[in-house]
Amino acid sequence: MIRERIASLRNPWFTASIGITVAIALVAAVVGFVWLPLQHPGERFKGVWDAICSASGLVRNAASSAQIVRADYLTTSVEIEPQMLGGASAESIGRGATLALRCTMCHGARGLSQADTPNLAGQYPVTIYKELVDFKTGARGSAVMAPLVADLSDADMRDLAAYYAYLPRVSVPQPSAGEPPRIVASGAPLRGIAPCGACHGEVDSKASAAWLEGQPAIYLRTQLEAFSTGARHNDIGEQMRNIVRRMTADEIAAASAFYAARQ
Amino acid sequence: MWTSRRLVLAHLWFAFGSFGAALPLGEWQMFIRSPLHAWISDPEWYYRSVTAHGTTMAYVFPTLVAMGFGYFVTEHALQRPMVGLRWAWAGLALVAVGTVMAIVPVALGLASVLYTFYPPLIGNPFYYIGVVLVVVGSWVWVALMSINMYRWKRDNPGAPVPFPMFATVAGSYLWAWTAVGAALELLFQIIPVALGWRSTIDAGLARVFFSWTLHAIVYFWLMPAYIAYYTIVPRAIGGRLFSDTMGRIAFILFLVVAMPIGIHHAFEDPQIGSGFKYLHSVFTALVALPTVLTVFTICASVEIAGRLRGGKGVLGWLAALPWRNPIMLGAALSFVMLGFGGAGGLINMSYQLNATVHNTQWITGHFHLIFAGAIVIMYFVIAYDIWPHLTGRALDSFDLMRAQLWTWFLGMIVLTFPWHWVGILGMPRRMAFYDYTDPAIAAQAASVTMSVVGGAILVLSGVLFLVVLARGQTAPRTEPATYRFSVAVRPPRTLPAALNGFGLWLGLMVGLTIVNYGFPIAHSLVTPGTAVPAVKVGERW
Amino acid sequence: MSHLSTSDEGADRGERTERHWATAAVMILALMVVVATFAALYHGAMPQSRVETADPRTLHLGGEFIESNLGSALEPDGAVIVRFIGQQYSFTPSCILVPTDTPITFRTTSADVVHGFLIDGTNINLMLVPGYVSSLGARFETPSERLMPCHEFCSVGHEGMWGRIKIIDKAAFSRMAAERRRLSCVD
Repeated sequence: MIRERIASLRNPWFTASIGITVAIALVAAVVGFVWLPLQHPGERFKGVWDAICSASGLVRNAASSAQIVRADYLTTSVEIEPQMLGGASAESIGRGATLALRCTMCHGARGLSQADTPNLAGQYPVTIYKELVDFKTGARGSAVMAPLVADLSDADMRDLAAYYAYLPRVSVPQPSAGEPPRIVASGAPLRGIAPCGACHGEVDSKASAAWLEGQPAIYLRTQLEAFSTGARHNDIGEQMRNIVRRMTADEIAAASAFYAARQ
Repeated sequence: MWTSRRLVLAHLWFAFGSFGAALPLGEWQMFIRSPLHAWISDPEWYYRSVTAHGTTMAYVFPTLVAMGFGYFVTEHALQRPMVGLRWAWAGLALVAVGTVMAIVPVALGLASVLYTFYPPLIGNPFYYIGVVLVVVGSWVWVALMSINMYRWKRDNPGAPVPFPMFATVAGSYLWAWTAVGAALELLFQIIPVALGWRSTIDAGLARVFFSWTLHAIVYFWLMPAYIAYYTIVPRAIGGRLFSDTMGRIAFILFLVVAMPIGIHHAFEDPQIGSGFKYLHSVFTALVALPTVLTVFTICASVEIAGRLRGGKGVLGWLAALPWRNPIMLGAALSFVMLGFGGAGGLINMSYQLNATVHNTQWITGHFHLIFAGAIVIMYFVIAYDIWPHLTGRALDSFDLMRAQLWTWFLGMIVLTFPWHWVGILGMPRRMAFYDYTDPAIAAQAASVTMSVVGGAILVLSGVLFLVVLARGQTAPRTEPATYRFSVAVRPPRTLPAALNGFGLWLGLMVGLTIVNYGFPIAHSLVTPGTAVPAVKVGERW
Repeated sequence: MSHLSTSDEGADRGERTERHWATAAVMILALMVVVATFAALYHGAMPQSRVETADPRTLHLGGEFIESNLGSALEPDGAVIVRFIGQQYSFTPSCILVPTDTPITFRTTSADVVHGFLIDGTNINLMLVPGYVSSLGARFETPSERLMPCHEFCSVGHEGMWGRIKIIDKAAFSRMAAERRRLSCVD
């Protein structure tokens, strides 16, 4: 039985299908890799080969000729990776406990403050670590905290973070705050405000965003107001400043009161 | 002789059961984000639902329909018991295990990453492993389709492979190849991160891999519908298939060109060279061709039926068609939705027009119209046609069937037409709620509300569909006539080898993939410093 | 039961119609590609022609995407470069200021996951993929204020990620640019 050969130049299906496909690919390639890139309004290529390489997707980081504008204030120097500081060892927690003895005056014996300083017990480790680093570098200003962290090493700060994260948060069975105010539950989308819980833990947690429940109301309000004026500016990429600038004073008060009452 | 009856029935009940579960989720989503409901207090519920609805409707439901229908075609087109029945059951078991494994973490809120995965967002590893198992189960089906066809060819040398089988195998090869992209993304990028073996992932490369799968998967979903156009509709309405050859060419074109065009889903992505975006857009235009050819062939085949029934005149034959036949009705309604949905697709295919609609609700409206509309209505048609042969009982609730098909069609139009419109108005996708009180968005409220009504009609239609099938389980027993597929006007006695096998076409498909995807993938792999930290979801305190 | 009589003449006519249909289809599709290509050439409506990388972990530490360098910069040649970033769940600057009648280049990247943006009422539409820099050219004719939502699912706060863009008169923009090197319309 004669078997018709497919892969043969005499087979019209073979030649036509491959020929047409190749022709289309070639024309498209010439247009897409040569003609169009050379006509790109924003680009000046150094010739055809440069255009082809760029259009293929080879990485061509533009040499920045423009000067970079620097801020006249310090921003955070911390590089956040979401899984950093997870899985602290018992030794680290122990060392942190020792270091934390000097913090109890304001932050309480078990990390639960009697004053208007933040409760640190059960706070996310990344949050504690980042704020300590920022206090030390001056990215976050505090006349009280700055001298206290001046002699902390990076390992010390990680240990403190591990210790406080390990401490239990206070919680009572019934949250006494009632329904969250609208700004907390749903944010205000067209003002670019997402629900607080999207980052601060009730819905999902974003690395370095603090756990807010049970924090003193006056502390929360002061911090929000500081973000709003830019006095506090250690939030990466202005992400908190973006949000609080569009909040009203009533919303700031309501959010602070709500979180303070939830514990 | 008919050995896979229970196998096919199991696939299709699983398919339609999962469809029935996912359908109300979709309407709930529509309702929750519309002006008719207050903003949901926990937006994560919405995204969880989108993940569940999308995963089921994209990965589970159409895969099972294709598999079940494929096994049906194997035995009835090749007219002999299928080879590998045990393997087929094993494949179904894998799909079932994978489905459960994937849905449990989603239901618990541990994997609200949407069915498109979206790394560097990473969910629970069992979600992804479950999806992989579903795909592996379907690859068992691919292997069996291929083996059965080649055994038949070996036993019938020189004879033309029956067209339904040829088309089915083309669809299965397309699926096997297109699934590779998402498989690479899942196996080598996402799952290692989800299991904690790595903490960074190249999001750009992952999107390129996913684009490999994302377009052709819709052609995989489309295959059973198109196979039904060619092989069921003409017979069911008393006509003939206008051209067997053109049908084969259409499926061959799908096999070759459906896959290496995925980058049109990434026109606005920064990690892909502009040359490849253009190349993909040109080949995307080419994949419109087999659909256009299909429209001709099917209309001509239907015309034959009309004229055989006494229709006369240029358009008079339309009136002579058996409109009370659910198959006729379903196919016609499908064609209407295919026309509109296909036009939308042509708009999406060019970078210039795509820029206006990318990631707006236009896109969601488009794929619901074309997939949930034109294609899924043909899944119903297939079920109505073959159910008596699966159950050995009559399926005769014709009034219900017609009502079900009409409500699906009307619901789909009411759902998707306003949906396209709000996309043009700039409404972004996938938000759990919108502030319709703001004047900038207020114009969208009416259209979104209309879509909610459309969705409600669809839920009703889905219920009707399941009622029809359920009735078919308890109807009186019948002995249906031997199942037949449509016959061509000129059934081929011999065929050129190119139209009777797949070597050439697979070679072209792989070759085009290398040309269109090889460099973008390769250079992403070797470029240092593009891996970014993974962001795990679902970790609440 | 009727018999199908395939007269040769009828079959030939059918095949000719089929050929005409297929030819017309190919020509229409080719025409669409030509029109799209023409639009690209004539309007400059093309995707970015180079791939650039940026590390999301260090955007805020150095390089063109530090917070003080974000915003609209008037270049010596009169063009404007707008640099902004996206993160969960806002754009920075959250209100972008641009002039009319000026060639504008948006340069942007993500600090964490995949985001995207569109500008309401325009065809400006772009993805922000962490690890890569997206850029797009644009030109605005009339002053207006528009919404700029994130349109790619970026996790549970996505529905709150809406930015704004304000297009102001070219002269007013130049006056502001004389006083500050990076402009925005953040309060």
